Amino acid sequence: MRALFPAWLILAAVPLSGQEAPAALPAPTPTPSPYAGSAACSACHEDIFNAFQKSPHAQVDTDQHRGFAGRVCESCHGPAQKHTESASAADIHQPAKMAVAAADKICMGCHLNTPTQVGRLQNSHAKNQVSCVSCHKIHADGPMGLVPRGNAAINTECESCHLNVWAQFQKPNHHKVPENAMSCVDCHNPHGSIRPAMQQSFAANEPGCLNCHGDKRGPFAFEHEPVRFEGCITCHEPHGSTNPRMLTRHEVRFVCLECHANLPGNNSIGRVVGVVPPAFHNLNLPVYQNCTVCHQKVHGSHIDRNLLK
Amino acid sequence: MRLLTQWRGAMPGVFNALIAFAAVSATALAQTPPATVPPAPAAAVPAQAPAAPAPTTPAAPSPVPSSEGVFTGWIDFGYRWRSDVAGSLDTYRSLVNLGSGPKLIGTEFTLTDPKHRLFDQIHVRAYDWGDDPYSTLHIDARKAKLYNLNVDYRDIAYFDDLPSYADPQLAGGGIALNQQSFDMRRRFANAELTFLPGNWISPYFAYDRDSGGGTGVSEFVSNVDEFPVPAQFHDRTSDYRGGVRMEFRRFHVTLEQGGTKFEDDETLFQSGGVNYGNTLAPIFGQTLDLTGYLGAYGARGTSIYSRALMTASATSWLDLYGQFLYSQPKTTVNYQQYDGGNLYLQSQVLFYSSQQYLVSSAAQMPHTTGNLGAEIRPRHRIRITESWTTDRLHNAGSSAENQTLTGGQTAEQQTAALLESTLVTNYNQAEALVYFEATSNLTLRGGYRYVWGDANDAVLPAEGLASVENVKLRQNVGIGGFTYRPASKLSFSAEGESASSGGAFFRTSLYDYQKVRAQARYHTGPISFSADFNLLNNQDPQPGVNYDYLSHQESLSVMWSPAGGKAFDLQGSYTRSDLRSDINYLQPSTEDSLLSNYRDNSHIATALFHINPPHKGPMAPVIMAGGSLVISSGSRPTTYFQPMAKLSLPAGKHLTWFAEWRYYGYNEAFYLYEAFRAHIVTVGLRVTR
Repeated sequence: MRALFPAWLILAAVPLSGQEAPAALPAPTPTPSPYAGSAACSACHEDIFNAFQKSPHAQVDTDQHRGFAGRVCESCHGPAQKHTESASAADIHQPAKMAVAAADKICMGCHLNTPTQVGRLQNSHAKNQVSCVSCHKIHADGPMGLVPRGNAAINTECESCHLNVWAQFQKPNHHKVPENAMSCVDCHNPHGSIRPAMQQSFAANEPGCLNCHGDKRGPFAFEHEPVRFEGCITCHEPHGSTNPRMLTRHEVRFVCLECHANLPGNNSIGRVVGVVPPAFHNLNLPVYQNCTVCHQKVHGSHIDRNLLK
Repeated sequence: MRLLTQWRGAMPGVFNALIAFAAVSATALAQTPPATVPPAPAAAVPAQAPAAPAPTTPAAPSPVPSSEGVFTGWIDFGYRWRSDVAGSLDTYRSLVNLGSGPKLIGTEFTLTDPKHRLFDQIHVRAYDWGDDPYSTLHIDARKAKLYNLNVDYRDIAYFDDLPSYADPQLAGGGIALNQQSFDMRRRFANAELTFLPGNWISPYFAYDRDSGGGTGVSEFVSNVDEFPVPAQFHDRTSDYRGGVRMEFRRFHVTLEQGGTKFEDDETLFQSGGVNYGNTLAPIFGQTLDLTGYLGAYGARGTSIYSRALMTASATSWLDLYGQFLYSQPKTTVNYQQYDGGNLYLQSQVLFYSSQQYLVSSAAQMPHTTGNLGAEIRPRHRIRITESWTTDRLHNAGSSAENQTLTGGQTAEQQTAALLESTLVTNYNQAEALVYFEATSNLTLRGGYRYVWGDANDAVLPAEGLASVENVKLRQNVGIGGFTYRPASKLSFSAEGESASSGGAFFRTSLYDYQKVRAQARYHTGPISFSADFNLLNNQDPQPGVNYDYLSHQESLSVMWSPAGGKAFDLQGSYTRSDLRSDINYLQPSTEDSLLSNYRDNSHIATALFHINPPHKGPMAPVIMAGGSLVISSGSRPTTYFQPMAKLSLPAGKHLTWFAEWRYYGYNEAFYLYEAFRAHIVTVGLRVTR
């Protein structure tokens, strides 16, 4: 501003010193737009631009109400006029090289107010600074290219970070994820969910497991509490197990007896749930080593209070 | 589309109403958005907020070629041979279940309408058709700014006959007591149609269907004997939902209303013959038997549910989130049972020859879930997130039963009972986290979560196993973590939780626990490494519980792709996992103290090697080899090997021949009779366009 001050003085002095006053003051010079427009970007980044035309994001270039008509590239990379003049990478935003929070802020500028992001506060990806562009390929070719589609592609994407989970799926009893009959997002919502472990939900607020296991849904006249209170993972390892039926223990009796232990633990507030088996359950006899022979309806019964039928 | 046609046939009224609503919506909402729209909030992306009106420079014409192939994609088909399964065919079918025959191995293709009439593009993916145990089909059809249609169909075989899970004495040639086995198929179909995608207001409709059916073996249990009997299963859930998404610049609201319809018919039966069950020893000199049996469940259910979702950019420093979810499933069941033979009622020391048992029951479970949250950015480097969740589930059930015993020692004995049941759980959680960007490379976070709730379960009148139970949940959890990216190619992250509890629902619930997850990733050019560590330590020191649980996994993966994989690439991973769990229980009959100690120590490795051998001409062969192995010791020592190799040879510009070999080898040290080995060879062609 100091440099400009003498200039203003000079300009102010011109009318006073002139022989003839001009008919009108010259029109003020318009402030140059910091935006270069998509066409300018495509001149140098033709390959990216061509591929981008098939991306769902390309509609931003023509959609008037998004606020970036004609400058879709700059909706994420910021004003590019200076970059077009200098051709310097320092004069343009590169979200892939920005801090995650800053890069995600660019995405959230448009995508926050969508149903996808409603569970963002519970999203462990966001908590762990896993940015949107870790999974979404913004420049990818084709309308399905923004994010992996198809079970195999989705599973490959998730597997690259969740190594221990993928290892569990190699165990003999598993959901058919390695076979690509299912994908990780069938059970988990990668954008966050209010259910534990970002589980998907079914019918508004029921566990996502019931999407496929509808016969376990109930409600039952006689419920088995763990199914309602802590869900299927009380007894099952959904990612995979060496135990049949993905049980958490090698024999079904131990799954049952660890809660139905005949040792109800008392704590300061209330005692833990788990009724005591009557004394006729002689565990030395084979029949009592297989609880589900008699207690067939372990997920809940419509008929019998003891989940027998 | 076939599904839609079926749906339309089944629900003509609903379908026509949807079409009418869609037409009205399209007419009402096809208005041009306001010509001037406020620029994006400056604080959201300060450097990028449009500071000037939209440039007058018209967008350059797209350099994309205007004409595209109408049909592009590929299809793999061929024939699969499976060797004879050495060992247990039942185990093979339970775990693998691939068979011989001609197969449509997979296809993915895109149909493009250059004139954009009914659709812009249709994408189709289909895998594993031809009597495979898991077949999938997915269709995406879209027309820009008019509709998106997603259709998904899966057909998954569920075969399960693994007796060892419940009969430890089988290893010594004991008694086959696992009489819960299944040979079923589950089919899932869903279709979602969204109108005006990308518009501010976008209605959508969806239909989901989940059905299962097949046969199996189940049990008729009569006091002191168990009789394995055939069973037929059939269940079906249909889910109809519709809603509207309203996405504006400063806030979004989604409203959805849905309903489900449920049917479950299960029939257990025995007609003809004499079934002596598992107890062959005479009781009071009489041998028990079952000569006829029919048990039929008829469960019918309905549910309505509602969802309201909200996000808002309230100010430049405040985002708000909210959800309200409500469902109220109901079920009514009629159960009819008839059994005949020489049967025994232990409680009355009574023999009888026939029983009729009728039960009518009903249950309903209103379930309300709410969540509110906020992200606050008081300073440039600080973010605070707060959220509160409540989940309230109340189940009320009733059952009326009528039992009639005839024959044997009594002419007729009739009993009736009426039971009432309730199950209530109220779960609440509040969490606050603070994120601090110490530098542009380092983000720290810490916070606190409080979990509280209560639950009670009662069946009245009290009798037998079930009683009235009340329990409370109290948990204080400290949370911490960091993410450090010293370079764009290198990152470290870790998170941990440490909790102290004053109450838990179950003996094996999380109580006083520590969770840790740490990850390191390095990626440069052709090589990337990733390392992962997970730990869960859970202790419940309460008298009578004394639960001690520790599990941890360490994983390492590497991917090496020199020169972009032109000559070869390699990827592999290795995971070592340990799980130790100890908890006491009492033998119910003697009250002897016993220990349930579970151990699982596993080595798991996967690898995939891909090579492009030197060749002449444009036809480049490709060789792939790899697979996975699991070696587990502990409570159920198991080995499971799945090596594979594949050779692809181009046979023309659009044609590739391929052959694949896979081997499945499974062994259990304690249950040798469940081991199996099988080779699978697939030969096929890929046609590409």
